[in-house]
Amino acid sequence: MSEGLKALKHIVVLMMENRSFDHMLGGLKVPGINGLTGNESNPDTKGNKVKVSQSAKFQGQLEADPDHHFPGVDMQIYGGQTGDNRVANMQGFVLDYFTQTNDVNKSHAIMNYFKPDDLPILTNLATEFAFFNTWFASIPGPTICNRAFAHYGTSFGQVGMDFFYLLDPILSIYERMIKGGHTSKLYYYNQASSTMEVVNLLKNQPQLFGTFEQFIADCKSGVLPEYSFIEPCYSDQIGDDGGAIIASDQHPDHDVREGERFMATVYDAIRINPDLWQSTILLIVYDEHGGIYDHVVPPDCTPGGYTAKPDATGTGRPFSFDRLGVRVPAVLISPWIPRGTIVSPMKSDGTMQNQRNFEHASIPNTVTNHFLPDFDQNNKRTDREKKSETFLDLLTDTMRPDDDCIAFDL
Amino acid sequence: MPRKVIAVPKTPKEAHNPNRRAGTLLRSQALHLHEALKWHMRDVQAVLAINPRTLHTEGAISKYIQKVTAVLHPHATEPQIKQGGEL
Repeated sequence: MSEGLKALKHIVVLMMENRSFDHMLGGLKVPGINGLTGNESNPDTKGNKVKVSQSAKFQGQLEADPDHHFPGVDMQIYGGQTGDNRVANMQGFVLDYFTQTNDVNKSHAIMNYFKPDDLPILTNLATEFAFFNTWFASIPGPTICNRAFAHYGTSFGQVGMDFFYLLDPILSIYERMIKGGHTSKLYYYNQASSTMEVVNLLKNQPQLFGTFEQFIADCKSGVLPEYSFIEPCYSDQIGDDGGAIIASDQHPDHDVREGERFMATVYDAIRINPDLWQSTILLIVYDEHGGIYDHVVPPDCTPGGYTAKPDATGTGRPFSFDRLGVRVPAVLISPWIPRGTIVSPMKSDGTMQNQRNFEHASIPNTVTNHFLPDFDQNNKRTDREKKSETFLDLLTDTMRPDDDCIAFDL
Repeated sequence: MPRKVIAVPKTPKEAHNPNRRAGTLLRSQALHLHEALKWHMRDVQAVLAINPRTLHTEGAISKYIQKVTAVLHPHATEPQIKQGGEL
């Protein structure tokens, strides 16, 4: 066991919304990244080749929400192929975005990606600590079912946005922690933003929830739970004092800069408390790609134990939860992680070194394995979760000095 | 070496648009919360259906009080933390 793992007392996860790896980090030029070369392309509805373009904007470019429901993502991954022997090719993003924009030129915006300098928070966290070349959404589908994997290690067979009922005996990671004598909390931004998807828990386990203001206070006073999950602000609001509250989830078409500020706020809240900083690992990850282009074909995975019927998938095909969703940004932060760490780095020949595929079930799996090593005797989680990759092996024996870790000027 | 300090850009005020048409995510969230509220109301109705005048023992009345308090002050129902307790 590494010294960093021995020191670990807190795991914090911040889950953002709807941006792909290539869109946010694909423009980074660091050795080992599986990013963009600039030559990747998709056809548009007129048959023109549309290349990726480093011209993503903070807001206003994706006003028509890119499709990220199951049939849309199927189209994006398979390029519209429908035969039994179809092969995933990531060629249907522009075609699918046309269905939302009805404008050929606007459909090209789905291939845009950011200049690294435009995203100083995410890119600096990625390069100063660790980022994953191979973290994928759990399902090639929308938010609700993907976030469910982060909370339960399964979506209970759902591939969409419908309300779902929990099926025994699967417990959420929060319930596992509390029942196991540990502490855990979900911090939503405020009441007007509330929690996404886990209304089952909000109704039945309100004590599991806190607000972001409480998260900041808990960091300051050193009473952060052992496992915390943070939700950004999901909507532009008018605050109680009449002031403007800007959505920080980065869901298109919310301004990406506000999400950057939110990440910096979370990071700083942990970093400025020295005891907390050296005993905490922070994962920033996106729930799904939001319909935005990524060039990596999602890999197969351990089947999820459920099958969604053709009428539920909307593709005319069943889905056995045996393929992951599109790749998303994921950054892991701790002073025990060496600068420039890349998980599954790409070799010069274009292959991955020690490829390990992560997904959102990796979150409850990591937390459970660390805090509840005897949990499996009760068989209250899925095989899919148990077989997912965990990430605490990235903690090393060496803690970086405080002034070796970046700070943000908010 | 001095610590690297990153300036965090400010989001312009114009980014704020509470009149933006809500997408499927927010609309789904509202529906989910509506569903949870219906469950909550069913729970409240079940407690309201109990007539406290029909309760005569300390055990029965304390059970009733527990149910009412759980509705009025749900955060008081925080589970006991048992170190090494069984799941």
